[in-house]
Amino acid sequence: MRTSALALAAVLAAMPAAAQERAAGLRPNATSAEAGFWAVMDKAEAEAKTRADLNTDPALNAYVRGVMCKAAAAHCPDLRVYVMDRPFMNASMAPNGYSEVWSGLLLRANDEAELAYVLGHEVSHFTESHTIEAHRAQKTRANVVLAATVVVAVAGAASAASAGTASEAQSIMDATGNTIDLIYYAQMASFFRFSREQEGEADLLGQRKLAEAGYDPAAAAESWRGLTAETKGSDFKRVRESETRISVFSSHPLGAQRIAALETQAGTLTAGGDRGRDRHRAAIRPHLGAWLRDDLRKRDFGQTLVVIDRLAADGEDLGVLNYYRGEAYRMRRGDGDLAKARDAYLAAAAQPDAPVAVWRELGDIRRRDGDLAGARTAYDNYLAKAPQAEDAWLVQDSLSSLDQGK
Amino acid sequence: MRTIFRALGPLAACLALAACATVTSAPAGAMKVGDAYEVALGREWSDISNIMNGRTKKVRLLSIDGPLLNRLYLSDGLEPGEYLIKPAAKETPTPVIRKDMSASERLEFVADSVVALEYQRVQLVRPRPAKLGQGNGVRFDLTAQTKSGLDVKGTGVISEQGGKTYVLLYLAPAEHYFDANLAEVEAILGSARLG
Ligand SMILES: [Zn+2]
Repeated sequence: MRTSALALAAVLAAMPAAAQERAAGLRPNATSAEAGFWAVMDKAEAEAKTRADLNTDPALNAYVRGVMCKAAAAHCPDLRVYVMDRPFMNASMAPNGYSEVWSGLLLRANDEAELAYVLGHEVSHFTESHTIEAHRAQKTRANVVLAATVVVAVAGAASAASAGTASEAQSIMDATGNTIDLIYYAQMASFFRFSREQEGEADLLGQRKLAEAGYDPAAAAESWRGLTAETKGSDFKRVRESETRISVFSSHPLGAQRIAALETQAGTLTAGGDRGRDRHRAAIRPHLGAWLRDDLRKRDFGQTLVVIDRLAADGEDLGVLNYYRGEAYRMRRGDGDLAKARDAYLAAAAQPDAPVAVWRELGDIRRRDGDLAGARTAYDNYLAKAPQAEDAWLVQDSLSSLDQGK
Repeated sequence: MRTIFRALGPLAACLALAACATVTSAPAGAMKVGDAYEVALGREWSDISNIMNGRTKKVRLLSIDGPLLNRLYLSDGLEPGEYLIKPAAKETPTPVIRKDMSASERLEFVADSVVALEYQRVQLVRPRPAKLGQGNGVRFDLTAQTKSGLDVKGTGVISEQGGKTYVLLYLAPAEHYFDANLAEVEAILGSARLG
């Protein structure tokens, strides 16, 4: 037993690509451990469909599903992908083919190729049956369901402890299956955790899937590198000094060796290939504002600014992006931030896609600066552009108080 | 695993000390929110401030049927640097009061504080002029969803007076519970006496 496990481990380590890929369309035997994982995740998937943060934009969902299918090739019909509006870089793949892609990932991928790489990585966990591999000790469906129940119960208790009140805690404990929050996700993720070796294998297989689908394999290392830059941009020393993780739930850090392995393999694959930058931007463009607002609400403005810089690098969507850049500086309010906010709002105001709120914020910031004429112009602009805005009376009030020399 | 232990810490402490279940009655009649701030309750509420996660001294939390069904946040005057919702960690900050907030930043403070309570799709709507005591404020309504998709409604007022910010915020499920106690909340709001 021991020898064969060691032998298998040695084989996996020596030739990661040679591991047995599951057949497309395969369903597990009803009494097997794998069927247990499927049962647990079928339930989680049913809950995902009712959640408040499920993104239901048909065009965006079609885009993400299309990229997933390119990466998954023959396995496409086995997979179901749900887009969730959550401002964290995360994608997940359950053993039953239920996959989540979070808005934080879509916002951070530079192009379709980078998204395809991350999805290819997730697809590889599925095609290599990594969950089953990670839980060899679980022999039957019943064992798996029991183990998962314990994990969810502990996650439930943990959620309850972080609830607002004792009675809320009780309500959460009672509502089994409704413990949907970050702690729950973290616990589920730890139950479905992959080993360092499996992550390395998924990286390399994901990159090969990327190349086979006709994308540029260089996108793989670039997507991980972008994430590292964001960690370094954090407002918080503890975050800056921590190792980058691929998602908030990932237990394995994104070390330099993983990026290096992707660069090495890229040399063996066909260079160049599709990046799909315009297609990606077109798909996420309608959501940029809402997702950046969600990102700002995490209140790590340095990280959001890194994301905005990357989105603005090619000179597109500069009205929206400069507005949110201004918002990040305004909300952070560090030394010199208000001046940077003003400059960003001014840059936004010169663009055709500037949100109308730019002029209200510009008015407020100039008023703080004592530039009363400038404030008046900005407020007048806001009222002219948005006479029906719900807060027009508030801006009118600010304007009147300027006139009264207050 | 670290997550579990850190999160279970407070619960374990509560169980050991039996100190976390101190819900008290807030009977009908005058209730002091702060030294110079009083409202009138039209009926008995439960004061669940003491069992609130991350409670701050200046914020009282009342409920009738439990915090998932109705909750009323009443803050005494918040000063710059103070918050409605206390952050769990330095790296996960919650909105704070600033000394030079604009009117729209005060509304942002309310909406983002509700986001910090982990409500989803939070939208602050219909800001309108209002009084809190003798001072001017902004009345607002709010729509949101719980994580599992239940529609929630809110209403309240935010008012800056003498450099301090007062917030009154009522949240309840849109179905039945919000409307059931709205008249009581309106009356409490109208009863505020400051200074
Ligand atoms: Zn992985």
